[in-house]
Amino acid sequence: MTPAAQRSRLAAGRRRFDLLGLASRLAAGVVVGSAAALLGFLAWRFVQLGLGGAPQGPGSAGGWEAIGAAAAGTAWLVVLTGALALPAGIGTALYLEEYVRPKTRAASALQAALANLCGAPSVIYGVAGLAFLVHGLSLDRTLATGALVLAALALPPVVASTTEALRMVPDDLRTAAFGLGATRWQVVRHQVLPAAAPGIATATCAALARAAGAAAPLLVVGAASMATFAPSGPASPLHSLPTQAFAWAARPQTTFAAQAAGAALALLAILLGIHLAALLFRRRWRRSIPPAQALRATPALREARR
Amino acid sequence: MNATSSPDAGALPQKAPDGNPASSEQDLPASPDASTLPQKAPVLSCHRLSVRFGARQALSEISLDVPEHRIVSVIGQTGSGKTSLLRAFNRTNEMAPGARTSGAARYRGIDLYGRGVDPVAVRRRIGMVFQRATPFPRSVFDNVAFGPRVGGFKGDLHELCEEALAAAGLWEDVAGELDVPALALSAGQQQQLCIARTLAVKPDVLLMDEPTASLDPAATSRIESLVHSLKSDYAIVVATHDLQQAARLSDMTAFLEEGRLVEYSTTATMFTNPLTRRAEEYVTGRAK
Repeated sequence: MTPAAQRSRLAAGRRRFDLLGLASRLAAGVVVGSAAALLGFLAWRFVQLGLGGAPQGPGSAGGWEAIGAAAAGTAWLVVLTGALALPAGIGTALYLEEYVRPKTRAASALQAALANLCGAPSVIYGVAGLAFLVHGLSLDRTLATGALVLAALALPPVVASTTEALRMVPDDLRTAAFGLGATRWQVVRHQVLPAAAPGIATATCAALARAAGAAAPLLVVGAASMATFAPSGPASPLHSLPTQAFAWAARPQTTFAAQAAGAALALLAILLGIHLAALLFRRRWRRSIPPAQALRATPALREARR
Repeated sequence: MNATSSPDAGALPQKAPDGNPASSEQDLPASPDASTLPQKAPVLSCHRLSVRFGARQALSEISLDVPEHRIVSVIGQTGSGKTSLLRAFNRTNEMAPGARTSGAARYRGIDLYGRGVDPVAVRRRIGMVFQRATPFPRSVFDNVAFGPRVGGFKGDLHELCEEALAAAGLWEDVAGELDVPALALSAGQQQQLCIARTLAVKPDVLLMDEPTASLDPAATSRIESLVHSLKSDYAIVVATHDLQQAARLSDMTAFLEEGRLVEYSTTATMFTNPLTRRAEEYVTGRAK
């Protein structure tokens, strides 16, 4: 190939790369722009319509108290769902990935089935929950029942993403730990889990956030559409921000449209809180494991490595 | 292993399998005739040892003995079974999917694959240093302390740590900076750390799988002199593809080819007057 041809090939490569860069910037712009527009519209609608026309005060169907009550319901649901889905999901992934070795066909099939369930529409969980929990076991329509349904919804993604995080841990680490006479549990507890923890935290928070925002399964199970008092515990009537936003949005009065926008904003704030928690956990975790660069500057070792 | 720590470095290896009744649950089952074994009995031996990974035959009917206080090097081309042989001795092969081991591998007369033998106990006795240095992403101290901690060590961890680092020739380099991250050490130091980490478990035998494969000449010679100095306390098996290293380092040399043991003789014989034609071709660089 002549030098000129080589140059033109290289130039073509650069052009293609630039096109790709432009396209990716455009895509990012569209995503950020629509998110900002959505958020801005919600806030504007909330401010414009105002809560002025809604009956205020405890026990009323509108106003800040009603949004607060629904937010408290969602907070309860997130905590209960996390308490159910995280231990079960992380435990299942650990068992299937670390303990079933060599991997059996049943374990692989189970992992594949759980991965498939990740994409299942959330309403399916609602239908199953209504049939099994409410009609089958005659459970009341409480926050605890809702949390069971949401935990089932969150379980497959928790298992799948924990599995992925465990697979990212290099096998050398396991072999080295086994080579030093560690038992399987010690290898998992002291090497594998700490190495996979940031990935597990990110993924489980995403799963929890999805569960927190799910309205369909709770509506199917039977969420209270106008709960007006903040829940006092898991046995309180089932209601949450998404179901409440749905109920408000379905009403013709403009003040309830403002309520729906307010509920949507509160839900976004809770999701932000969940992701912030994951972020803080990851940062703290990284700090507890010293970064490799920390040593590069210490004189004694530089001397030793001369 | 030891319930107490000993200040003198000479106490690192623990010779008799039944010498420490305090940690009996960690130990291999004591051989009834361990005390009556002749003094020169091999530390490790295998007889018609074969290892398969699924359809691939990694080792075919290997028989050899590893005597006390000797360095045995295992040479052969990539894929000749060096690593599988070493791993067979500390039962790490079985973690790979589809691994099957047959024949006998013995440690001081005890069948390593016998019923009731705990692979965890085997690995505490027969330490292994891997080809690639894989320090845990923790501090130097935590790396060395990992083995003793999981083994339930009750004595002075700092003293044990210092002892192991000193034995691995790393103490001078890291003294006073045990809390620095292990991953910040140079490649050679990381391998030394992995050796120290293995010594801290107080094994009886050291298996080293190409311990200098990824190191520069200076670090290689440091590791080699370290291995040489450890000979007085351990039986050592070194797998290497570096023939000069095998010649420099070892007392005995085993030559493997496609999973078969072609020749096992003293290093002097292997490199000056090998008994087999294949070994001669290999050590003289004429192997096809």
